[in-house]
Amino acid sequence: MNQGRRSFRNPFDIETAPGAEGWESMYPSYLLFGDELRERDEQKLWFFDQMHNPEPLYPFDLMMPESWLVSLNQYTTRVWNLPTALGIEHRIVNGYLYLSPNVIDDPAAMAEREPVFAERARHYFENWDEIYDQWVAKATDCIERLKAITFEPLPEREPLDTVLRARGTTTAFDLLTSYSRYLENMHEMAYYHFEMLNLAYGAYLTFLEFCRSHFPAITDDLVARMVAGIDVILYRPDAELRRLAACAVELGVGAALTSGAEPAGVIAELETSEPGRQWLAELEAVKDPWFYYSTGSGYCHAKRAWIDDLRPPFGALADYVGRVERGEDLSRPFDALREERERIALGYRDLLDDADAAAFDSLLALSRQVFPFVENHNFYVEHWHHSIFFNKARELGAVLAAAGLLDADDDIFFLHRYEVYRVLYEAEARWALGVPTRSEYIWREEVARRRQIYAAFEKWSPPPALGVPPEKVTEPITVTLFGINTETIGRWLAADNGDGPDDQLHGLAASPGVAEGVARVVHQVEELDQLVDGEILVCPLTAPSWSIVFARIAAAVSDGGGIMSHAAIVSREYQLPAVVATGVGTKMLHTGDRLRVDGGTGTVTILERAGASGPDAAASA
Amino acid sequence: MTDLHVAVGRDHVAVTGDCRPEHVGDVGGKAVGLGSLLRAGQRVPGSFVVTAGAYREYLGTQPRQLPAPVRAAVVDAYAALCAQYGTDVTVAVRSSATAEDSAEASWAGQFETFLGVAGAAEVLAKVEECWAAAQAPQVGAYRAGQQPGADGGVAVIVQELVHARVAGVMFTQHPETGDRSLIVIESSFGLGEAVVGGDVVPDLFEINKITRQQHHARLGSKHHEHRLLPGGHGVEVVPVDPARQQDWSISADEVMALATMAANLEAKLGRGLDVEWAIGTAASTAGAEALFALQVRPITVRPRQAPAAAPQRDAIGHILGRLAGRPAEGDS
Repeated sequence: MNQGRRSFRNPFDIETAPGAEGWESMYPSYLLFGDELRERDEQKLWFFDQMHNPEPLYPFDLMMPESWLVSLNQYTTRVWNLPTALGIEHRIVNGYLYLSPNVIDDPAAMAEREPVFAERARHYFENWDEIYDQWVAKATDCIERLKAITFEPLPEREPLDTVLRARGTTTAFDLLTSYSRYLENMHEMAYYHFEMLNLAYGAYLTFLEFCRSHFPAITDDLVARMVAGIDVILYRPDAELRRLAACAVELGVGAALTSGAEPAGVIAELETSEPGRQWLAELEAVKDPWFYYSTGSGYCHAKRAWIDDLRPPFGALADYVGRVERGEDLSRPFDALREERERIALGYRDLLDDADAAAFDSLLALSRQVFPFVENHNFYVEHWHHSIFFNKARELGAVLAAAGLLDADDDIFFLHRYEVYRVLYEAEARWALGVPTRSEYIWREEVARRRQIYAAFEKWSPPPALGVPPEKVTEPITVTLFGINTETIGRWLAADNGDGPDDQLHGLAASPGVAEGVARVVHQVEELDQLVDGEILVCPLTAPSWSIVFARIAAAVSDGGGIMSHAAIVSREYQLPAVVATGVGTKMLHTGDRLRVDGGTGTVTILERAGASGPDAAASA
Repeated sequence: MTDLHVAVGRDHVAVTGDCRPEHVGDVGGKAVGLGSLLRAGQRVPGSFVVTAGAYREYLGTQPRQLPAPVRAAVVDAYAALCAQYGTDVTVAVRSSATAEDSAEASWAGQFETFLGVAGAAEVLAKVEECWAAAQAPQVGAYRAGQQPGADGGVAVIVQELVHARVAGVMFTQHPETGDRSLIVIESSFGLGEAVVGGDVVPDLFEINKITRQQHHARLGSKHHEHRLLPGGHGVEVVPVDPARQQDWSISADEVMALATMAANLEAKLGRGLDVEWAIGTAASTAGAEALFALQVRPITVRPRQAPAAAPQRDAIGHILGRLAGRPAEGDS
C-alpha cells in the first residue's frame, strides 16, 4: 500500500550510543558487526530480541544467548538437520542483541536433508512420552548437580587437611575447577532447553496451520486454548500462593500479610504466634522449588527470583488474602477449564467433514502430547535452574570481592564468563604470591568503566529491526519461538517509515475482547506497585511473576512475545484482552494515555494522549 | 393433520408449514424455505401459498384472468389469516418460482414482490400481477439462460408484513472464505429490502459460532431506510438521520439472538444457510417487537477457495512434511 523503504537502517550506520564509546570490548568480537562480513551482513534482516533480552546485555549474562547460539542452532543444523533452516546468528549493537535467521531454499539441499531429518525427528515424536520422562530426570539431575557446586572464599592459609591427606592440589584449584563445572552445567542445561522445543513447536504450528486453512477466521488464541494444558507446572507457583493465602485466613493470620509491612516485618510478626509459625512452616515447604521463580525471563541476573526477594510473592499474598476474606474462591476451576477446552475443540471438529475431522483429531492429540514440554520446560530451565545459576554467580562474585579483585559481588556481571576465568586465575596468582598485583586495580577500573557504558546503553532505544528483510519470513524458529512473521516486519517497516497511523499500534491478537482504559507503562516488576486497578498494563514483556497483577488490570499490551508468551497465556486465563509483539508499545504509549485495546484484532488505539490536547504534545515529550 | 402431500399440487392454496423440499415444483423454493423455518421452530410471519397449479390454471384462461376457484381459495385463505391476526392484515405478495431459490442459482430479486398490500381485492390484484410479470420477456430470458428446460411454474406467497425497525441477512458460514466457524450478519434500519437489494452499506457482524464471541464488526453507512407507509399501502425510502447512521442498527443482545437462530437452523436444516430476518412488529405479535425469520436458502456464493483436503499422511508425517518446508495447506 505505502511506498516506504523496503529496508530498515543499515546496521553499519548505527552510531555508538552517547557515552558508550569503546563498548565493543565488553563483548566477544565474533558477536559484533565487522568489515569482514559487511557485504553479507548489511543485506540481511536483524531483529531485536526483545522477547528474551529486552535490556542491554550484561557481559556475564551473555552466556544465556551464547548458550542457545550453540545448543538451539546445533539442534537445527546438525542434530535434526532441519531441511529449511540453518542457525540463527547473533550480533550485539550498543549492548542489545539482534538476531538473524538463515533459511535453506535450495531444493537440492533441502531434499538431501529431509530423509535425515525425518528419521531423527520421527524417533522423538514416536517416543515422546518416554523421552519426556527421561528429560525431566536429566533436567532435575542437572539442577541438583548445580546446587552442589559451591564457591568458597580463598582461606588465609591452605587447610591442614590438604597436607595430611597428601592431596597435592589446593582450594584455589578447586575454585577454578568448580567454575569450569559451573560453566559446563549451564552449557548442558542449554542443550536440554532445546532438545525437544523445536519439534514441540513444530507440532503445534502444524496444527495451527491446519486450523487456519479450514477456519480462516480462527484466532491463535482459540487454537492455543484447544492445546494448552490446564494443570501445568508453570502455574504452580501462583497456585501455591493462592493456597497459602487460603491457609493464612484459615489460621487467622491474614492480618499480618495484609499489614503492608516489608516481608521481613511480616515474618517477624508471624513468628510471635503458634498459628503464625505454622503458616511459616507451610511457606518454607513451598519454597523449594516453587519460589525459584524469576521476575524476568530468566535470562537476566538483575531480575531476582521470589526465593531471593520475597516482595513480589508477599505483595500477591496480601492481595489474595484480601480476596479470600471477601469470600472469593481462588482455586483455579480445573474442571470448568477442561470442559471449556473440550467444548471449543469439539465445536471446531464438528464443523469438519469426516476425513478432515480425523486429521484434526490426530494433529490435536499430538499437539497436546508435546505441549506439556513447551509449558513446563520454562519452569525447569528458565526459573528453577537459572535462578540458582545466577545466585551461584553472586557467590563467586563475593569470592572475587573478598580477594580484592572486584569492588562488589555483582561486579562479576560486567565480566564475560571467560574473563571471569581469567580473573579467577589472577586471584589464584595473587593468593599464591602474597604480595600486591596489578589485578587488584585493572579489573575494578574496567568494571567501573563498563558500568558507565551500561548506563549509556539503557538510555538508547534499540530499533526493532536492522538491515534488509526477506520478501517472506518463513524460518520456522523465528516464526514460532520469536513470533516474527512477514506481517510483523511489514508493520515495523511502516512504523520505521513513519507512515503507520500515529494513533494506532498493531501486534499479535493474543487474547480476545475489547477494553478501554488508562495506560500504565511498566518496565520493571518493581514498578508494578504504581499500577491502579483497572488500568491497561503496557510493558516490554511480562514474566510469570507478573501474573499477580492480571487480576487488577483491564488489558495487557506488550512490546515482545508470541502467542504462547506469558502475557498471552495469562491474559487468556484471566479473560483479558491482550495485544503482544507491538514492537514499540512502551515507546509510543505513555502512562496516562487513554487506550482502546482490541485483543481480537491485535489493535491498540490511542483515544487521548495523557495531559495533552493533541498527540503532538505527547510525541514531543 | 391431513396428508398435505396430497393436498399440495391439487389445491390452489397450500399451508406454508407443510411445504417441504419435495413440493418445490408446486410451491417454489421460497415457500419450501418458509416451511423449513416453521418446522425448525422459528417465528415466521403468517402466510399461505398460492400454488403453481393455480398458476397453470391461470395460464389456461383466455383472456388471462384469475379463475374463480383460485379467487375463492385466495379470498378464503386471506380471510383465515385475518381471522387469526386482525382486520385487513397488511401483507407482502411475492412470487416463489419453482426454478428460483434453488441451490444452483440464486435468482433473488428477479421476480415481483409487492409490499404493503392490504384487503382481499388488493391481494388478488397483486397475485395476478406476479403471474403477469413472470411472463415478461426479460425474466424468461434470464431463466432460460440459467437453467434451460426449467419448469417455470410460479407460486405466490402471501405473507403478513413485518413493520421492521431493523432487518437484514445472515449467513451461517462465511460466504467468501467458506469458513464454517463464522456467522455473518448484515443489518440495516427499516425493511430488509435495503440490505437484500444492496442499496445501503449495512452494519456487519462476524460471530464465532463456537464461542459466540464477536470476531469482527464494521459500522455501515446506512444512508437510508425502506419503511412501510402509514397504513401499509406501499413503501417509502427515507434518509436516515446522520447521527443515527453512526449507531449500530442492532444491539449486542440482538446479535446474539441472531447467532442463536443461525446455530439452531444449522442444527435442524444443515450447513451453509442464507437467512433473511427482521426485528419489528406485526399483527401476529399483537404489536410487540420480535425477531422473525423471513426466508432461508442454501448459500449460493461459492467459497473463493475450498478448504484444503485432509493430510494424506499420519499426523507425524504431516508435521515432518511441514517442518521440511512443504507448503502449508491453505497458504497462498
